[in-house]
Amino acid sequence: MADDKDVLRDVWFGRIPTSFTLNQDEVTEREAEPYYLLLPRVSYLTLVTDKVKKHFLKVMRAEDVEEMWFEYEGTPLKWHYPIGVLFDLHASNTVLPWSITVHFKNFPDSDLLHCPSSSVVEAHFMSSIKEADALKHKSQVVNDMQKKDHKQLWMGLQNDKFDQFWAMNRKLMEYPTEEGGFRYIPFRIYQTMSDRPFIQRLFRPVSPEGNVHTLGDLMKEMDPAALPNDGEPKRYQVVIHGIEPLLETPLQWLSEHLSHPDNFLHICESHNPPSPVLSSVYISTPPTTTPPLLLSEDLFIGREG
Amino acid sequence: MNQPGLRASWPTRPAVLTDPAGVSERSGRVLAPGGGGRSAESWKKDIVRQLKHRDLSQHAMFQDLIRFYTQLLEKTSLAKGILSCSVRRPSSDSSSSVSSLLQRNNQLKKTTGELAYQVVELQQQIKIKECVLEEQHARLSEEERRLAGVLDARQELQERVGQVQEKNGALKMEYDVLLERQREAETRLREEKVKEGHLLEDMIHLKKQAAARMNSRNERRSRARQANLQKELQTAARSKVTVDSSSSAPTSRSTSPKKENHDPESTEKPHTRLFRSASATSPRILNSIRELFDRKRRGHSVCSLEEDLMCPVGICVSARVPVRARQALEAHEQGINAVRFSSSSDLLATGGTDRVIKLWEVRAGSLTHRATLEGSTEGVTCIDFNPTGLKILAASYDKSALLWQRDESVPKLTLTGHSRKVTAARFSSLPHQVVTGSADRTIRLWDLHRAACVQVADVPSYCSDLVCSENSIISGHYDCKIRVWDTRTVSCVQELPAQGKVTSLDISSDHRQLLSCCRDDCLQLVDLRRWSNDRMCFRAEGFKCGSDSTKAVISPDGCFLAAGSADGAVYIWNFSTGKLETRLPDQHSSSISAVSWSLSGEHVVSVDKRGLAVLWSDI
Repeated sequence: MADDKDVLRDVWFGRIPTSFTLNQDEVTEREAEPYYLLLPRVSYLTLVTDKVKKHFLKVMRAEDVEEMWFEYEGTPLKWHYPIGVLFDLHASNTVLPWSITVHFKNFPDSDLLHCPSSSVVEAHFMSSIKEADALKHKSQVVNDMQKKDHKQLWMGLQNDKFDQFWAMNRKLMEYPTEEGGFRYIPFRIYQTMSDRPFIQRLFRPVSPEGNVHTLGDLMKEMDPAALPNDGEPKRYQVVIHGIEPLLETPLQWLSEHLSHPDNFLHICESHNPPSPVLSSVYISTPPTTTPPLLLSEDLFIGREG
Repeated sequence: MNQPGLRASWPTRPAVLTDPAGVSERSGRVLAPGGGGRSAESWKKDIVRQLKHRDLSQHAMFQDLIRFYTQLLEKTSLAKGILSCSVRRPSSDSSSSVSSLLQRNNQLKKTTGELAYQVVELQQQIKIKECVLEEQHARLSEEERRLAGVLDARQELQERVGQVQEKNGALKMEYDVLLERQREAETRLREEKVKEGHLLEDMIHLKKQAAARMNSRNERRSRARQANLQKELQTAARSKVTVDSSSSAPTSRSTSPKKENHDPESTEKPHTRLFRSASATSPRILNSIRELFDRKRRGHSVCSLEEDLMCPVGICVSARVPVRARQALEAHEQGINAVRFSSSSDLLATGGTDRVIKLWEVRAGSLTHRATLEGSTEGVTCIDFNPTGLKILAASYDKSALLWQRDESVPKLTLTGHSRKVTAARFSSLPHQVVTGSADRTIRLWDLHRAACVQVADVPSYCSDLVCSENSIISGHYDCKIRVWDTRTVSCVQELPAQGKVTSLDISSDHRQLLSCCRDDCLQLVDLRRWSNDRMCFRAEGFKCGSDSTKAVISPDGCFLAAGSADGAVYIWNFSTGKLETRLPDQHSSSISAVSWSLSGEHVVSVDKRGLAVLWSDI
């Protein structure tokens, strides 16, 4: 279906405007300009920040440079989560562009994994795909693939080649029609308010009775509190790729179309700002927000000058 | 982006991903999920819409902005770089432009001058280089000439190398050949050395054997001597010396002429001592008689002192003419050439063509075989006992003379040196010396101690026999001459004529009479004292000398002559009368080759060409 293909394209080409600024504690030879970049949602931080690193290294002394890492509002950003997940989880309510602070020292070993090269990212990516296929097809599909097919998946992601990637990923999304879907849906639910990294359990796309499971069924099963009771305002947002799909959306379709390239459906659950406030702000903002806007515009102009 | 209002609203608005309309719509759907009239794909449309909106707000709005910013950033950095480079460039104003131009003009002029100078310099350099080039050309041509010369020389040298290599090859081949020959020679040398070793071993072995033999011989000899002595002592102890008148008379009679003989003043003495009735046969009696004359003999003789002391030497007082044969036996398988009694005992030796010498003992009127002496490789021609009777000398056809100890069958010495058969061998008057005569016309003197020939005398003719006197050798020859040699000078001192080929010689025990037998069938007796030509001839009817080596003898007492004839009879002549005493026929069927008279005078033995030996006696 043309719509489904468009959805895949939109998901693949989702971008987040990001502003990288050097941490103020870093020792520089001269002032470091911020760097702006549109980050692909489906990719990984360390895979797409070569330019950022190059930009900041210009002003750094070589002896001060250690491994680069990123932080947003005091939270170190895990590179092994897809960028879109990081954004939806930590910065869904922030002002765009997403402002990420760049660090070159004091690597937080307790929070982050080291990423010395892109091969580490590749290993992580491929292991995720294999795990997802284990859930979906008992690993049959991924095991039938050849080494070069695995390489094609990775190269498609690394070089942002949609067609290259999906030519191979299509096989991973097939399922026998008589079963109506995958064995289990590979998903991860991230919660901003929870200490645990994410929820991941076995969940079938179709109920034993033959009914199609929806996103709402999943959320009800995994975290009943996430769903609003009747009449209550919604307390949590369920965000996938920066959007809130309807709860009635069939889970199988979501898994096929809204999964990340690693074949997992990454679902972010975050506090929903109360709607009245939202609306009031929305309504009342135009008069009050002008000065900041101007300010920011000045900033922009100043920089351009 | 094209809506200013929207753009303005972004920074201040909390991050809401959906527009108000969307929120309301979605909330409405949430509130009425699965409401009738809605499309089953509404959730999908919702998602598509949300995605579009998301991209619009997050992507499209910032896309150009960020691109521009990045471009600006790049430009800025570029500009910065340029600026930093051009900071030091002086800013030129119009007022100073003329002066600067002038300055530059001057500068250029200066530069032109410099360049012109450089041109001149370079031209000079070019000239120099050309000179150098010419020079190098010249050198090059010279080098080429030299190269050609060197190439020629090289060619020559290569030829020489080839020649030398050929020579080397030839030398190498030669060397190889020589090496091969050397190897062969070494191999031969090794073989020869091995052979030499073997020969040496053999020689040592033989020497050892000879030494052992010598030792045993010596031992046996000493034992025999001891036994002899003991025997004689025993007999001497047993028998008493009782000389009765009948026996003493002939003894005294026999002594008197001897005394006269030894007297140098009595030069002429006829042969008047004729007696044959009595004879002293016992060795003991002989000994006693000998002792009587001992002193005188010693005064006269200088050579046989030692042996005379050591051993008894029998002197025959009276020989008895045999009258009949006591025994005739086939002593040898072939013809017998020589027979001789020992001068000290009753031992008899015969030697013949069958190459052995047999020793016989005359006992109780018969011959008893005692021993056989072997060693000669050809027939035996002549036999002699030394005065003690312990050594036996024989001449042989094998060009050698052999010496045995009486008790040993193998020869103690072999005297080689003659080039033809040895016809005579005699012990000299010196105890360690023997003389041999040979058909090779030489007479040789041998020293037994050294087992070597000490002197050689060349004679003009075949020597058929010889006898030894004191300091002289008398030899008989086929040229009808009897020659006398002085042993000290080895020169012929006298020649006596004979009537024919001399076949044998014999000398009387007192060394006065020399008997010669010639092929003219006549026996001649010469008195050696007188050296005169008057001689006695003894002939007999029927007596015929059978061969060139027929031996005739004088009886031990010097009173008779005996010879064998070709007709097989023994003829005995009386010395004093010159007449035939007796003829002993009928025993031999062939020519008699030799006769011998025993020292005791009792027996005569004759041997013939058929190997028969006959013992004659007067009893």
